[in-house]
This record gives sequence, C-alpha cells and structure tokens, in this order.
Amino acid sequence: MMKRKRLIWAFVAIIALAAVIGIDVLKEPGQAEEFEIAEEFELHPIIELPSIGPFDLSITKAVVYLWLTAAVLIVFALLVRRSLKRETPSRFRVMMELLYSLAHDGIVGAVMKSGRATWFPYIASAFFFVLTANLLGLIPLPLAEHNQFGFYTATANLYVTLALALCTFVFTHYAGLRQNGPRYFVNWAPSSAPPVLKQLIWVIHAVSEVFRLVSLAVRLFANMLAGHAILAVFFAMALIFQSYLAAVVLQGASVLIYMFEIFVAFIQAFIFAILSAVYISGALDQEH
Amino acid sequence: MDAEAAKLLGAGIAMGVGALGPGIGLGMLLGKAYESIARQPEVAGDIRTNMFIGIGVTEAVALYAFVVALILIFVA
Repeated sequence: MMKRKRLIWAFVAIIALAAVIGIDVLKEPGQAEEFEIAEEFELHPIIELPSIGPFDLSITKAVVYLWLTAAVLIVFALLVRRSLKRETPSRFRVMMELLYSLAHDGIVGAVMKSGRATWFPYIASAFFFVLTANLLGLIPLPLAEHNQFGFYTATANLYVTLALALCTFVFTHYAGLRQNGPRYFVNWAPSSAPPVLKQLIWVIHAVSEVFRLVSLAVRLFANMLAGHAILAVFFAMALIFQSYLAAVVLQGASVLIYMFEIFVAFIQAFIFAILSAVYISGALDQEH
Repeated sequence: MDAEAAKLLGAGIAMGVGALGPGIGLGMLLGKAYESIARQPEVAGDIRTNMFIGIGVTEAVALYAFVVALILIFVA
C-alpha cells in the first residue's frame, strides 16, 4: 500500500516537473541561443524597491534564495520537532540526528575547549544555513532573466558571504572580550617577547584578524561561484559549441560535476563552521 | 598585443600559476594526513578535523588567484 502511494506521488511529481519545463521551453521559443557565463551571475532586480541612502533594497534572486533557505530551515525545524514526539525514529529524523551530531561532536566538540554550550547554537546555525544555501543552489529555479531556469546560489554572492563572515568576526571579538576582558587585546602578543618585537607581533596579529574575515568570506564565495560557473558551462555545452553531438557527449560529464558539487557544498559548509569554531575558541582560550 | 588579449592571457596565467602552489600544498597535506591516519587509526577523527582546517586555509590561496582572474576578465 505504502509503495503504491509513493509510486503515484513520484509519477505526479515527474509529470509536474515535465509540465513546468515544457511550459518554460514553449513559452519563448528561440530564447537564449547565446550563452554568456557572466550573465548567469548578474543580479537584476525582480521587484524594484527604492534605495535608502547607499543601500539598494530591490529584491534580486540572491534575496529570493536567502528567503528560500530560511523557509526550508524553518520547515525542517518544525518537521524535526514533530518527528521527536514519535516513539520510533523515522528515516528523516535519523538523518537530521546525524547532521546534528556532526555539528555537535564533529565541529564544536572537536575544536572548542571551553564555552561549548554557549557557542554551539551560533556555529550550528552557521553550518546549517550555509549547507542549506549551498544545496539549494544546486536546484535550478526559474529566477534567471525572462523567468528561465538557471543555477544560482546565495553563497555565490560576495555580499552574502561577507555578511556571514562578519557575524563570525563580531562574535569572535565579543567572545574574547567577554571571557578575558580588556586583557583580550593585550594577549594578542605573547608577554614573553621583547618590547619592540612584541608591538610588531601585535600589529601582525591585528592584520591577520582582518584577513581571517576576508578569507572566510572569499573562500565560500569563490568556491560556490567557481562550482556554479563550471556547472553552467557544462549544462550549456549545446549553446557554446552550437552542436547537439558535443552536448550529448558532455552531458555525462556534467552529471559527474554535479555530484562533485554536492560534495563541495557539504565540505564548504563544514569548513566555514569549523573555522568559525577555531576562531571563537582561539579568542576564548588565549595563550598567555 | 591588444589590451583585451593581454587581459585574457593574464587571467589564464594568474589562475594556472596560482593553482600550482596550493595544489602542491594540498597534496602534501592530504598525503601526510592519510599517512598519520594509517599509522594511528585510533585518532583518525582528530586528524580529519585538523585536515579540514588545513584544507580550508590552503585552498583559499588558489581561490584568491581565481578572484584575481575574475577581476581581470570582468572588471579591469
């Protein structure tokens, strides 16, 4: 009974997907005969809104992807809460518990010495947010120009990743100041060093703090941008070579790239969270 | 050579040469990490965590080259 129900649902889903794609193809025949990789990552406002000062408040596809990420996370959280009430764990709950224990033991437990309970919520949120944003970017959505399907992800936008990295940056220094007081800044240089060298080390450390912020943002941004650029190029082979033969041969490769991108999405979310944990724990347990 | 060609050449060279160092570094890092996991499988979890931190830091260098290449093509 269950199997038949599932089969019917799968059938309906496939028909719906085919209908959506068919409508999209038939709607504007002859659209997009050229492929330009830069256009895939341009942000055009979907809903125009007035800008306040230097801040443009228009709704672009990056904003839509961020909203989708938040919506997916909220729905999953509600589903997990509902599945916790049942006696026997469902498949979904086991999967979520695996991810949770990865964040709890694999990231926070493995890196942080003190303040685990205080900082676990932030690091787990960062992990799940980046992971969901990365994985959502692998689903083509009709948000490109002329409502065509296109690959995009919120984390392939430097402003999004910079905002995420700024969260880690602010929390790092907040954690350090709360734990060590004003001594936090003094402890940046080792107290055993001779005076002039000590100031030099302090300046180098201050510069490295800024570069941590930049590298945290650029790493995620460049990884997702490069991955999506490669994906877009491989999926547009028919347009680039203007030949179906090349496309048929290279579509197989694009599936492999797609699978690799799923792996990259996981790894990048993991690295973002683990580096956040390393920075925060470095500010909490300073070497004297 | 006109400016456009120089731009594209520069982007290609930036990405190619910029990927050399991190490639060697990542190879050494992963090789050493697997070597130590094979030697001491009981601390595999700790080693793997530290390996990912190292991967993140090393890989960023190649991504700077990628960003420079992008800037050369689309902005400069």
